[in-house]
Amino acid sequence: MSHQRILADLEARTLLPPAQAQAIAGFEQNRPFSIHYELRALLYLGITLLAGGLGVLVYQNIDHIGHGVVVGFIALVVAACFWYAARHRQPFTWGEAPKASLLPDYALLLGCLTFLVLEGYLQYQYNIFGDRYGLVTMLPAALFLWLAYLFDHRGVLSMGLTALGTWVGVNVAPLSAFGDESFLRYGLGEAALGLGVVLMAAGLLSEYLNLKRHFAFTYLSLGSNVALLAATAILFGDNAAHLPSGLMVPLIFILSGFLFWYARRTQSYLFLLLGVIYSYIVLTYLLIQLVADNSGAWEFLIMFYFPLSAIGAVLLFVNIRKILRIHAD
Amino acid sequence: MPIKAYPTAWARHDAVRAAAARWLKQELITPAQRTTIDAAHPVDYYRPNIFLRIGLFIFTCIGAMAVSGTVAMITDFDSPAAVAVVYAIGALVVLELAIKNSRHYHSGLDNAALYTALLAVIGLILYLYFESDYRRQPEDLFFGQTFGGTLLLLVILVVLAAATLRYADRLVAACAYFAYLALAVNLLLYLPPGRLLLPFGVMLASGAAYILQDKARLRDDFFYYERVLNVIKLLALLTFYLGGNYLIVREGNAALLNLPVSTQIPFAPVFYLFTVAVPLAYIYFGLRQANRMMLLVGLAVVCFSIYTYRFYRSLLPPEIAAVIAGVFLIGLAAWALHHLRTPRHGLTAVAEDDEPHFNLESLIVAQTAHAPEHQAPGFEFGGGSSGGGGANGQF
Repeated sequence: MSHQRILADLEARTLLPPAQAQAIAGFEQNRPFSIHYELRALLYLGITLLAGGLGVLVYQNIDHIGHGVVVGFIALVVAACFWYAARHRQPFTWGEAPKASLLPDYALLLGCLTFLVLEGYLQYQYNIFGDRYGLVTMLPAALFLWLAYLFDHRGVLSMGLTALGTWVGVNVAPLSAFGDESFLRYGLGEAALGLGVVLMAAGLLSEYLNLKRHFAFTYLSLGSNVALLAATAILFGDNAAHLPSGLMVPLIFILSGFLFWYARRTQSYLFLLLGVIYSYIVLTYLLIQLVADNSGAWEFLIMFYFPLSAIGAVLLFVNIRKILRIHAD
Repeated sequence: MPIKAYPTAWARHDAVRAAAARWLKQELITPAQRTTIDAAHPVDYYRPNIFLRIGLFIFTCIGAMAVSGTVAMITDFDSPAAVAVVYAIGALVVLELAIKNSRHYHSGLDNAALYTALLAVIGLILYLYFESDYRRQPEDLFFGQTFGGTLLLLVILVVLAAATLRYADRLVAACAYFAYLALAVNLLLYLPPGRLLLPFGVMLASGAAYILQDKARLRDDFFYYERVLNVIKLLALLTFYLGGNYLIVREGNAALLNLPVSTQIPFAPVFYLFTVAVPLAYIYFGLRQANRMMLLVGLAVVCFSIYTYRFYRSLLPPEIAAVIAGVFLIGLAAWALHHLRTPRHGLTAVAEDDEPHFNLESLIVAQTAHAPEHQAPGFEFGGGSSGGGGANGQF
């Protein structure tokens, strides 16, 4: 329908010869309707339903089947996934490995996810790790990070880094700390801040040393988010953290400045947006702290600071190409 | 003043460039032809990368709140209506200037300005409506059947429809569609048997909207409204089904009558039929007419029909039903993927990108010898503040 209009227009402006326009129209007319993705979605839905139904059935009949069989089956799935992924593995390189096909990638991801299920099942049913929660979280972190580099898989890298974050959290604060809301008191905020900075450094290093430089984005986006969130939480927190919250203000500005610099270097708008939003939050927080008890100053804030700063941010975004000297595509 | 706020060429150029990109992929045109077509249909509006759009939207909203706060402070907070009027006028002026001078086109900034201006206008209308008579209650809007309530819905619909016609924004279009349905429900309830006719009224209104959007696709300004028409189409398909769905009708009826537990409804067999037949019809006609949206909505509402059935009757324990359904779906999908490897009945299981390419090579070779070079006089290629449409995969 719309292609006829486009073809007629192109033909009228002599951008396409009439015979070709007619041939394209004929092609569009007779093109079969592709239901490839719909069928794939049905297939996945079917697999999910079947797996879910079977899972519930197994759970209901666990007395007849026994845990050993279930553990064995899950372990078999993990092994099969890893085996399939390993069979199709590209040779290791510190650069970006060429992708042969999608299926081994998905097999690796599925293997990692079922590995977590297996570990959780073993811990829940047999308590094999006892109270060594550090070990429980260390194991997948180490395994996933190793696999991520071995198979050149950014999804597994994110999972590994998340597991690493859990490991840091579990080591810093006893699990009971998660029950009440004053988790900042246990130094979780500082731990997260440290982890974020370390991840950012790892991202920068991987870029400078040219070791899997395409992993830098994952490291930096995860790291900067964790670090900035943690610093903001400490800043807004009830001063129970070990670090003085005043220190967080320059820290957030430094981190945001780093993100500006990095955004300009890599022409990445995501890091730019993160930097702008976090520094805006801190700047606004500082101003509000300054004028907290002064109603006249409040009027100044509302009448001048917010409109002008919003206009400034909008102008920054609109002229970002000139400011960051980002080239046209 | 023309009805459309943005130049229609922007949307048309986008559509032509998208078609050219697809045809190049399918080897229907040569790379040289694509370059000429792209040069003749440049991106000369401003729409940056998605992250910059988010930033523009957030900071425009902050600015909007600050401006309305300032106006409220100047008027000592005693005239909300004045704040709304001043703000709406200011936002609309900013919006028009941003389009005219800076060529913003759904860039985040114009979206935020439009939404906040409409919020101010509709807030003002609601404020005036409820303020003018203390007996008016929000719940009377739909079910009260007072002249004032109906007029209010009509005014809101006119505001939203006018904004949709001018700015072709999808969110505003969706709101306008719901205002239209609300007005239809309100009008129908004036009739004594209105409650009984309500489901049919909703279906009728949805069907009318579907036919209207289908007709609008034939108009010359189709490209300008394409995204809006897609939203209306989706919502019309959904509300047509939900209007006839047994669960919705039965529970809605109970809610209207304030019953604690829903009871059997009049014309129940008719609604059984709708619940079963509408999804199947969507899927059938979606496949027959290559109407992907209808097909997808059909697949989605089949699930809701099954949920409707299981809500009142349980045929099998859920886990058994899941296993059977899973086996059936896997079998069906595997069979169709195999059976449709070669196209049959106008359907194919091959992904659009992997389709065998139509070989136009001989034709193109014959024609490119005198394929005309396009030269627009005084046209600056790559000029303006184009943001590149965010298609560069950078983020």
